Amino acid sequence: MGEILATLCELKNQGRRLVGCFPLYPPLELLHSFGLTPVTLWGLSSEVTDLTKSDRHLQNYTCHVARCLTEFVLGDAHALLDALFMYNACDTLRNLPEIIEEGLKEEGARLLPMFRLHVPAVAKERTGVRAYLKDRITSMVCDLEEFTGRPFSPETFLASIDLYRIQRELCAEIEDAACRGTVPFPTFVRILQLAHFLPVEAHIELLDAEIPEEDDLPPHDLRHPGVMVSGILPPPRQLIETMEASGLRVVANDIASLKRSLGYNPAPTADPGEYYCDFYLNHYPCSTLLASSDRRIETIRRAVHDSSAEGLIFFGEKFCEYEYFEFPHLGGMLRAQGTQTLFLELTGQTGEGLDAPRNRMEAFAEMLKGQAGS
Amino acid sequence: MPTESPGGGFRKSPSGKRLSSLMVQDYMALHQKASEGAFVVWIAIIVPAEIFAGFANVVYGVPESHAAMCAGKGVGSLQCEKAERMGYSSDLCSYARIDLGTAFDNGKDSPTFGLPRPHLLVSNTNNCSLLVKWFDIYHRVWGVPHFTLDIPFSYESQKPRDFDYIVTQFADLIATIEEMSGQRFEIEKVREAASLSCDALREWKRFIGLAAGRPSGITAFDSFVQMAPFLTSRGTRHLAEHYRMLADETEEQVKSGIFPVPAERYRLLWDNIAPWHQLRKMSSRLSELGANITCASYTYCIGSKEGEYALHEFDGGDPFTWLARLQNFSVCPHGMRLRANAMKEVIGINGIDGVVFASNRSCKVYSLMQMDQMRRVRDELGIPCVMIDVDHADERKYSEEAAFTRLEALLEMIDAGRAGSIAPA
Ligand code: SF4
Ligand code: SF4
Repeated sequence: MGEILATLCELKNQGRRLVGCFPLYPPLELLHSFGLTPVTLWGLSSEVTDLTKSDRHLQNYTCHVARCLTEFVLGDAHALLDALFMYNACDTLRNLPEIIEEGLKEEGARLLPMFRLHVPAVAKERTGVRAYLKDRITSMVCDLEEFTGRPFSPETFLASIDLYRIQRELCAEIEDAACRGTVPFPTFVRILQLAHFLPVEAHIELLDAEIPEEDDLPPHDLRHPGVMVSGILPPPRQLIETMEASGLRVVANDIASLKRSLGYNPAPTADPGEYYCDFYLNHYPCSTLLASSDRRIETIRRAVHDSSAEGLIFFGEKFCEYEYFEFPHLGGMLRAQGTQTLFLELTGQTGEGLDAPRNRMEAFAEMLKGQAGS
Repeated sequence: MPTESPGGGFRKSPSGKRLSSLMVQDYMALHQKASEGAFVVWIAIIVPAEIFAGFANVVYGVPESHAAMCAGKGVGSLQCEKAERMGYSSDLCSYARIDLGTAFDNGKDSPTFGLPRPHLLVSNTNNCSLLVKWFDIYHRVWGVPHFTLDIPFSYESQKPRDFDYIVTQFADLIATIEEMSGQRFEIEKVREAASLSCDALREWKRFIGLAAGRPSGITAFDSFVQMAPFLTSRGTRHLAEHYRMLADETEEQVKSGIFPVPAERYRLLWDNIAPWHQLRKMSSRLSELGANITCASYTYCIGSKEGEYALHEFDGGDPFTWLARLQNFSVCPHGMRLRANAMKEVIGINGIDGVVFASNRSCKVYSLMQMDQMRRVRDELGIPCVMIDVDHADERKYSEEAAFTRLEALLEMIDAGRAGSIAPA
């Protein structure tokens, strides 16, 4: 049994009601305030080694993220989940609810209640956007009341907001330490990825334990080239090791499951509609949040500048159109301002399948070092 | 575009010739008006273009439609390659690659010299939301404002709250154009355009309804070709007139005993976008096998509410009500249950023997439900199905032999089913 599945089993044994969420930015606080435990079904490729069930439903040109998610739910996870939640992130994902339902029927499994949200894809300034989103959130609150049999509580909601705020602040702290080099980058990645599967209380405890009171490592050697990393998911462990062994320092990250997920803390309010308008409409920019498009360019430019990154490595999730439409322009913009870029395409490869990206990463590191030395 | 040979799949009827000149006129008028100072908008195909009729001098270009034309004229892959050389992945939708290749090469190699540069980009999220990303590229590179219509996906019939949200956005779009173009908007003109569009759609439904006859009066390939002006001339009198003549002429042909596949033995349904680079070849080769793809989800959905087949009539009242209610009509913005409803109805009406699911790696939003949908059609309706790999606009990703091996297997399955149903007697 994989680590994530084992965690879900343990949570289930504690009597928790688990809501499997996709994609990365679900309304965690709201679910939590109803006594539910949201788990974000993302970054499952280490867990899913075989795609047999998914292959019965999804063509092989579906991104690996969606294939793993489908496999995971149709495999052992559905028995542990009490419900699913999804919002409209991309064209692939909007087809998934019915596909998963078909899959569950085929497995002879219990169908899972599905909460759905449409997150507006337009800027907050547009007429009716806030009203629409608030209305959707209000409906979701009603659905959750019915599902859990308990009324919405503003106090509990505020308490949940507080927990997630603490979690995000601690994540920012450990990220800062990782970018300085005082926490190893692989440790940072591992801990942040756990945010998606652990109850928020347990994750806060973990963060508290892992953030060193005092730096236990010396800061980065500034002679090594600094890079920013971007993509939907962090690269597999082997590539992170290559990055480190090649002498690259990660000084900033724009990974969707790390920075983009945890980079924005909305102002607390007991009104869920208000809270999620703030959360979604001011969210840390992401290729999948269409309304954040203009802010995204500026955010990346600023992050590269502020971190003094000399290069940016895009970890492309094959078949993810949202990311792939952006790469050429982003890359061009960065190169024009003197930042080198490397684009690596990943699709769940392991072992020797990672040789090519590894070699290219090493060559990129050499190039950056050569540039620094010249 | 259509062939001349009756019995060879589909025909160059008078409507076919008229279609060609209509398209030429449309593109020439677009360039001409743009050069004379019209306000130019680029739109996604489902953006309700009737709205632009409310302005005195707003013209629109449709990149997807232009891309389909490029593919049909054999330059799709060429334009795709240009985009790929700029760093756009060959996994991206081929319409987008064709458009990027054309636009950044200033219309070179395009049968219409591309589209005139826009003043405003209007994308939407319904057919696919990647269109927003695609238009964002022009927004970023050229600095052209980009307005997105956000249309919630329909798993069930469009909800009133979604309808209201859509109508609000139409008002925002109008205000944006008024402000940018300095032109005043008149709703009466939109009402008239909606009425003309509805007239056109009524004729369209009459035309595709001829697929129900035996043999079918049309092929789905006819409908693929003839849908083009619906995208570029919505809300115009000439579109309504063209579709009226198209339906009349096709009815006449049927009465005269002229059929595209006279020896029709297999009546098939196509699920996905048209294989633009294969229209002639595929229809002829199928015709030789006695097979006719008589209808397609891509074209029978036009003018209907999501998951339905009947025309959604305009009542002559508020045009925005009609336009908003139709925003989920095409197949991509609605879910599997709705898709299945419409398909079941069409299979029944048209006496379909087999369904071809064209799995299209360029269009994930259309395709990533087909495996389950295929199982449903096969298991629940007992209709044989196959899945073939097609890219609608990038010929390099299509293998005729592989596709026909499967299509022939489908015909064998239909034969086996027929033999089976007779044998036990
Ligand atoms: S990786 Fe991209 S395509 Fe895949 S589910 Fe995420 S946003 Fe969608
Ligand atoms: S992905 Fe499909 S719906 Fe979207 S533009 Fe391409 S062909 Fe059209």
